Amino acid sequence: MKLRLTTRGALEAAAYGTFILVILLLPTVADVFWLNRFAKYLVYGMLGIAVALSWGYAGVLNLGQGLFFGLGAYMVAMTLKLQSETSMQQGADTPIPDFMAWNSQPGALKDLCCIAPGSWLWIPFQSQAFGIAMVLLVPTAVAFLIGWSIFRLRISGVFISIITLALVLLVRLLIVDWQPVTNGFNGLTDLGWLTFGGFEFDPYVVPTYYLVAFGTVAVLLLTRLLVATRAGLVLQATRDDANRARYLGYDVARYQVFFFTVSGLIAGIAGAFYVIASEFASPTFLDLTFSVSMVVWAAVGGRNSLLGACIGAILINTIQATVSESEMLAEAWKAIIGLIFVLVVLFLPRGIAGLARDIAMRLAALLGRGTPAAQPLQKSE
Amino acid sequence: MADTLFIGLSLASILLLVALGLSIIFGSMGVINMAHGELAMIGAYTAVLSGIYLHLNLIAAIPLAFLVTAGVGWLIERLVIRHLYKRIMDTLLATWGIALLLQQAIRLQFGATFFGVNIPGLGTGLQNVSLPAFFQQSWKIGDFVIQPYRSFIILVTIALAVATWALLYKTRWGIQVRAIMRNPEMAAACGIDVRKVSSMTFAYGSGLAGVAGVLLAGFKTVSPEMGATLVVDGFMVVVVGGVGSLVGTAAAAGILGEINGIVSLVSNDILARAVVLALVIGVIMWKPTGLFNFKGR
Repeated sequence: MKLRLTTRGALEAAAYGTFILVILLLPTVADVFWLNRFAKYLVYGMLGIAVALSWGYAGVLNLGQGLFFGLGAYMVAMTLKLQSETSMQQGADTPIPDFMAWNSQPGALKDLCCIAPGSWLWIPFQSQAFGIAMVLLVPTAVAFLIGWSIFRLRISGVFISIITLALVLLVRLLIVDWQPVTNGFNGLTDLGWLTFGGFEFDPYVVPTYYLVAFGTVAVLLLTRLLVATRAGLVLQATRDDANRARYLGYDVARYQVFFFTVSGLIAGIAGAFYVIASEFASPTFLDLTFSVSMVVWAAVGGRNSLLGACIGAILINTIQATVSESEMLAEAWKAIIGLIFVLVVLFLPRGIAGLARDIAMRLAALLGRGTPAAQPLQKSE
Repeated sequence: MADTLFIGLSLASILLLVALGLSIIFGSMGVINMAHGELAMIGAYTAVLSGIYLHLNLIAAIPLAFLVTAGVGWLIERLVIRHLYKRIMDTLLATWGIALLLQQAIRLQFGATFFGVNIPGLGTGLQNVSLPAFFQQSWKIGDFVIQPYRSFIILVTIALAVATWALLYKTRWGIQVRAIMRNPEMAAACGIDVRKVSSMTFAYGSGLAGVAGVLLAGFKTVSPEMGATLVVDGFMVVVVGGVGSLVGTAAAAGILGEINGIVSLVSNDILARAVVLALVIGVIMWKPTGLFNFKGR
């Protein structure tokens, strides 16, 4: 890849640089309470990236991104739950999830092997390394299987949205129904902290913010590099015209499966970070509303721009949190977000990123450097 | 068992009304109307409000709700959908925004609570429409108990399904709609005013949702979020039945409604929904065009 610094490229690099700088310098101005909040918004930003990758770049509107988020969240929550000391304080010999102890038969052996049917599944999660490996492995494997089935069968468009939507609702129901192992509706609370090399990642300390921040920056940059590779270009060609890409000799499904899987993995990692910052995991992560919200964030930020979708997610959630301080406004906000969404779809299909790009290109042209703004705009699907 | 099948059938009926509207709209315009459940919700609220302010009973509320929701649907088509015909996937998102807006507007009572005005019958409170006394008794034939309201739901649905069939296959408008379903450009070339027919189609589909809402109001709590799950279920029916196939939609509504009823009888509600979802995923994987599709593309 030859590095050609066009006006457009320079502007993009500047945008990425500014964003990363702001994120990394935030701890100098904000206190730990706000940093913890902001860490969650960064997680939402990662979800925005995941959606932009599958929707903007692959043309696949996944309405079940929450499935991977939820899987990642549950994997890390299970291992952190066993770090919690509550059960040991209540007289168990080995850590067991408190809800299992409460629900167990009187006189049942208080051990993960047999306290509840299926509780043995928790045994390997006593190792934190195993939990973290599962965060990477489970969403990836599930996303690969789903992607493989969908794209090999050449299912496209709306049908993918409906399948993914049905899947996330299905898994949500299974988690709710599997009460003895997952604690059903209540989800997993009272979690311990992630420990790494003797350091405990208390959600309310600066290093935890940096953990999430570096994670977000890494995901953002790696994904940006990934879509600029040859494979990324083939993917975009497929989005624009799948048959043409097929006739050109590309095994289209292979690219689609790969990027669908990457998008799932990103959502899974986001889920894990969210649990570290918020100390709970619950089936609400797999609610339809949450999955659609991610799409809203990406649409407002700009579905064709990874950075735009990321910023869109952070922006909307920051505004939402500010507005939610008053109960009346919080309710009105939901109506406003609905309205904003309709307006964005109608008048700003490329989102904030598209708007910013146009304005920046105009300015650059006015200042008389680089190419004029008259260039083909990215096609919006 | 017969009781379960009967209740399943009445639930399937409401599902069918929701799905019929979705199917016609999706079939002829390609629009995925995520606000369809909210239209049903508005129908239910029309029943509540007309009961309070106009002293109409549930039966009289049905035509009124049809008109109101058809009007709302017509407005949605005019203001939003019309501008998105070239970007079909975006209609899904825009209508989702509309759904949020409608839901929240009802919850905020059109924003009136913002200014301290309270409209009785609207808002988050748990409304229930009182049924006419006629529907509250139950008839017995041998061992079999017939609940009149459940039968009424089934009858209304059959009537509307037949009416829809007649509209689509026996009227000029129906021929135009079916022509647009097959090929909009060709239909336009033959002199059909696609835009006008489309807004009528959207209004009619919305009206059906409104009727479903009124029927739901008879046995379910009326609340701003009652429509949210409805659209998902409706879509499952449309997809399983095959887009644009009336018979398929009816059969799919029956099958999914009954499976839901039977599985919840032998295990629980949660698993019943899970089974239905799994089935739907299976059908899409196996036959993306639906089980009963006549149309080969």
